[in-house]
Amino acid sequence: MSDDLLLSLLWMVPLGGAVLLLLLPRAFVGAARMAALGVTLCVLCLTLIVFVRYVSGDQAPIHRSLADRAADNFLNSTNLDQTDAFAGFLTTDAVQVIDAPGDLVVRRPWIPYFNIQYYLGVDGINLGLLTLTALISVLACLASWNMDQHQRGYYALFLLLQASVMGVFLALDLFLFFVFFEVMLFPMYFLIALWGGPRREYAAIKFLLFTLFGSALILIAFLILYFWSGDASATLAKVPFRAHSFDAPLIAKVTATTSYYGPSVQGAVFLLLLIGFLVKLPAFPFHTWLPDAHVEAPTPISMMLAAVLLKIGGYGLVRMAWPLAPAGAYSWSMLAAALGAISIVYGAFAALAQTDLKKLVAYSSVSHMGFITLGLSAMGLFSSTGDALDPRYYAYGVVGANYVMLAHGITSAGLFFLVGVIYERTHTRDLNALGGLMGVMPVCGVLGVVIFFGSMGLPGLCGFIGEAFVILSEFNHSPWIAAVAAFSVVLTSGYILWAIQRIWLGRNSTWDGLHDLTPREILIVLPLAAFTVLMGVAPQVVLWWMQPSVDSLVRDLAAAPTVRAVHETLNGLPSSQPVAAERPHHAMRGAKAPVD
Amino acid sequence: MTSHWQVWLYVAAVFIPLVAFATGVLFRRWLRSWIAWIATGAIFCSFLLSLIGFLGFIPHLKSSHGESSQSDHAQVAIPFAWTADFEWLDIGSRLLPGLESEPVKGSLPALRIPVSIRIDALTVVLFVMVSLIATLIHFYSIAYMAEDPRYSWFFTYLSLFCFSMLALLASDSLFLVFMTWELVGICSYLLIGFWYEEKTNVQAANKAFIVNRIGDFGFLIGLGVLWTSFGTFSISEINRELADPGLRDAHLRLTRPTATHGDPGGLVRLSSRDQVVEGAGPGTTIPLFVSYSALVVAGLGIFAGCMGKSAQFPLHVWLPDAMAGPTPVSALIHAATMVAAGVYLVGRFFPLFTHEVLLFIAYIGAISLVIGATVAVVQTDYKRLLAFSTVSQLGFMMLGLGVGGWSAGLFHLVTHAFFKSLLFLGAGNVFHAVHTFEMASLGGLRTRMPVTARMMLVATLASAGIPFFSGFYSKDAVLASVLQFAEFHPGHTILVVLPLLGSFLTAFYIFRMWFLIFDGEPRSEQIAVHAHEAPRVMTLPITILAIFALVVGYPWTILPLATPVVEAWIEAAEPLAAMRVSAGVRWTAIGFSVLISLAGTVAATLFYSRFKLFSTRSILSDLKPLRTFLFNGWFLDRLYRLVFVLPVLGVARGVGRFDHHGLDRLVNETARTTRGISKLGDAFDRYVVDGLARGIGWTLYGLGWLGRLIQTGQIRTYVTLLSVAMLGLFVAVYFWIR
Repeated sequence: MSDDLLLSLLWMVPLGGAVLLLLLPRAFVGAARMAALGVTLCVLCLTLIVFVRYVSGDQAPIHRSLADRAADNFLNSTNLDQTDAFAGFLTTDAVQVIDAPGDLVVRRPWIPYFNIQYYLGVDGINLGLLTLTALISVLACLASWNMDQHQRGYYALFLLLQASVMGVFLALDLFLFFVFFEVMLFPMYFLIALWGGPRREYAAIKFLLFTLFGSALILIAFLILYFWSGDASATLAKVPFRAHSFDAPLIAKVTATTSYYGPSVQGAVFLLLLIGFLVKLPAFPFHTWLPDAHVEAPTPISMMLAAVLLKIGGYGLVRMAWPLAPAGAYSWSMLAAALGAISIVYGAFAALAQTDLKKLVAYSSVSHMGFITLGLSAMGLFSSTGDALDPRYYAYGVVGANYVMLAHGITSAGLFFLVGVIYERTHTRDLNALGGLMGVMPVCGVLGVVIFFGSMGLPGLCGFIGEAFVILSEFNHSPWIAAVAAFSVVLTSGYILWAIQRIWLGRNSTWDGLHDLTPREILIVLPLAAFTVLMGVAPQVVLWWMQPSVDSLVRDLAAAPTVRAVHETLNGLPSSQPVAAERPHHAMRGAKAPVD
Repeated sequence: MTSHWQVWLYVAAVFIPLVAFATGVLFRRWLRSWIAWIATGAIFCSFLLSLIGFLGFIPHLKSSHGESSQSDHAQVAIPFAWTADFEWLDIGSRLLPGLESEPVKGSLPALRIPVSIRIDALTVVLFVMVSLIATLIHFYSIAYMAEDPRYSWFFTYLSLFCFSMLALLASDSLFLVFMTWELVGICSYLLIGFWYEEKTNVQAANKAFIVNRIGDFGFLIGLGVLWTSFGTFSISEINRELADPGLRDAHLRLTRPTATHGDPGGLVRLSSRDQVVEGAGPGTTIPLFVSYSALVVAGLGIFAGCMGKSAQFPLHVWLPDAMAGPTPVSALIHAATMVAAGVYLVGRFFPLFTHEVLLFIAYIGAISLVIGATVAVVQTDYKRLLAFSTVSQLGFMMLGLGVGGWSAGLFHLVTHAFFKSLLFLGAGNVFHAVHTFEMASLGGLRTRMPVTARMMLVATLASAGIPFFSGFYSKDAVLASVLQFAEFHPGHTILVVLPLLGSFLTAFYIFRMWFLIFDGEPRSEQIAVHAHEAPRVMTLPITILAIFALVVGYPWTILPLATPVVEAWIEAAEPLAAMRVSAGVRWTAIGFSVLISLAGTVAATLFYSRFKLFSTRSILSDLKPLRTFLFNGWFLDRLYRLVFVLPVLGVARGVGRFDHHGLDRLVNETARTTRGISKLGDAFDRYVVDGLARGIGWTLYGLGWLGRLIQTGQIRTYVTLLSVAMLGLFVAVYFWIR
């Protein structure tokens, strides 16, 4: 199977499945769930094939950065006029496709008039998220087993949701990304509004409006990048660059190597993208849609929402906000870091105050998502004397942010599923009414405690690695913000232990006779618990394939000439020339140079 | 770094309990109570391996400082250790080659987090101690926990604890120490809340974990500052850099550097990190500095973690409540091993702590030892009494370390582990027999539980510091260090007074406990009638512990003339040549020590034994407010609740309310306003824009209607209208012309 087809299948298979389900005759409604499960399993297999292709062999894509691989696949317009690139695309028929096989990048013209491409690619940053999406979809599909109203519609929307999320993670063309991003809203809206709890219309419309607000900002940022005419001397591989492109790796390369987009336009683009994706993440103060959406959404949709949809916000930050506007990110890094730290602490405080179990888990998501923002904004890129590039600590922050995404995907799916299990049996989510479930549901209790501890960030479980990296990295950026974020260890242990106590521990005869997890439920929780332990004990399981891509991302961010320009302006340094080697450098940030 | 094969002994010793834990989790259903034996066997294997390691280490158990520091003061000998590094996390090392045209390219070391293991004399001794005590307590628990419905879980948790504790001791990376630190914390949580049906037990477990996490918050800050300053987590590497005598004053304490010989003030120069500049001539180096303030912050942060774990004031409040767990757990985790981890880390990372931080450590230790002792004096629950006694003894160790008595503090850790675990197991035997922790209803158990009573007496003598029992030697060593320190720094004499007071109280309360439980006549016959000696499985471990509690403090000659054997072993691991105590000071310390502990013992005898001369009743009623104050642990729990817990919960509620009534309201109001605006637009559209359009329509229609009125189709009407119009026209023309 060619890699072009393989990557396209990742989103086309669930989409096709959705269409087929809608065409399913009424007589076979009962088969809908089997069909949906089959489709999600099929996607999981395809994802695993992508995974294996990505890492195995000498020529495997893992050895080359996404930008390099993307450059091998290009669209050659024979009629392209270099002096006026925009005019060249008016001739739609003259585009020639050059495709390198087996490199997990797909590139085809889509709307040549606007230089819009059908452009998909895989690297270490989205590979994990694709796998996570495929896995959680299978588990959420299993968790939907007892959903018995309008099955065809439910599963069709569910598969449509999966298709659009896969598309978002795959797309490298900004326009294509935006299309998938918007398409995702439609199934999610209906899944909450039709299958949700009592206030479902409110929650669904709130979710929709918030995301639309964010996506409007994102679209503006994309259009600025598209239409901006900047430094005329900027060239890329000796070809003058003139914008009019939605090609994300290309623009990232432009910002990493040239000053085409100046610091001020990058600042604007960064802020627009930051706010746009923070809404989706969500982060304080744009998070209030999340608790409502979670409380009203049915359990499997909550799992998808927490484990996968929130990651779109994080992924957008990693893939778009930072690489497309590194200088903007660098100049606003304190603000972004502060927003991250506030989210962490605010979310933890809010979680501590909840009595509704589902809301507690929702606010804990807000808290954990803060680590993604914080890790990315820990941009202590220069050594303490202020001129030598030293992105070693920042690499830990970015790795940490990416790790948090996966770890939270695992634990939050598990938590929401367990909340659903408990609600199904006890018909309450009130923490004051629960308690004593350990005695009647020991298997649920043990697995639940493992996942709760994983969410708490206990060493040896998945939450710890990412969060520790982020906090440690932030110390090289701003020790004060790092200390604020570190304080969350106290609050987190507070709300997690309190929740464990009020769900499982103690004595409560009300629940006598409740049955423990069924085999189907164990089948859902066990993989999540296993990943919780595995990713905590052996982080290399994830890091070895994630790291090369993160390294090249960090290298591009750190080496961007505009970042250095911003740094020199901020610190009043003389403009950039190679710095004299005699200058002593200090291990401690902020240490003054000795007076000679 | 070269790796020694002996390290594998220790790796095996660490991982065998983990295998037992995994077996317990996975095959609990099939193995049932066999798990107890698997866990016990596993820790026994660890013990044997540690013993082999210890025997192999004996040739290296010689202090390297004794001779070398005299002759060559400039160079600190690095204590011998078996070490090994295993790659674990290595992020960003492939990053640097891609960064071109950078002046420091290639000279920046990659930031690695390896699994580094370092086995030095201290580790060797503590491994034997921990695995021995753990083995005995496992064995003891087989009988003690036999009736428990969650018997197999108990041993599974214990195995996890043993793994984490041993891993903590073996690791040289501060990052790994932090991880294992949290792991022992979670084991402690699981075991305190082992009987989770009772709400108080769960609350005690939560309290223990959360209070520890407050300390860990500091630990994390220390971790971050060190990581940023040094770029490594290796404890021995940081130690080596900071142990440089050139950085230290006459008493080898790290003080704030002043701006001399070209170096700016407030910065500590790491000479071992000097980097040679390529092509700039021989001897041209780039000096590397660490800010002194950063060291202070890091030291305080790390020590905050140690305060949490080792139950030091003001974070000691969790330990008394932790007694809610099964008694063997109290003996192993909350007396002998885990709570000593804080002391251990202070010792392990000793060169990091600057003069100010060490003073802080000493004062915290002194305060904790007094608070613990005063509260222990009035307790009526013997398990709580022992808990406060642990706080007090840990304070002793911290004090010893803080004043620079490195080996003294850690030596006390070892002796304390033996006599305190013995006291707890003895208490377990008593509870097993009488099912109460209240001393008021006990008494006279001496004859009914002879073995327990005798062994407990050994531990009592040891902890009171009576000569020829282990506690005496270690307490004496700590006192000698304190006296020596006070001689160097006369402003800190209070640091001598507090431990003397503490020693007196210790002797008093510990004998009070023994007398109240074992001496005299039973105060409650229906309780005493069931009292019986514990089975052999339970008396054997305490007998073995009693032997150690007796001899572990001995010098070769038993007489307190030379350094005790175990202290000398520990000394071989000393990271810097710390304080040497002069002979005069040592004899003064012995004198004080003997007098004070005898005084305490005699006082307790006069008040509580069957030879008592005074009744405590009248004194207690006179001092009722003081007694209430002490009994409630200086009301610190209530104070914390008022000052910390309630405000935090208040803030949480505030945030929750703000989220709901503030932010969310804002969102809803925005939505409502938008809807209002759109309604307004709708109205405008309907009435103004549309109204205009319709207005025009209506006007035209109206005109048309009017027009239609005259279009009747009748000739007569048309002719009439025509005539009227003509007439009008003529009239108008007439007037116009005129």
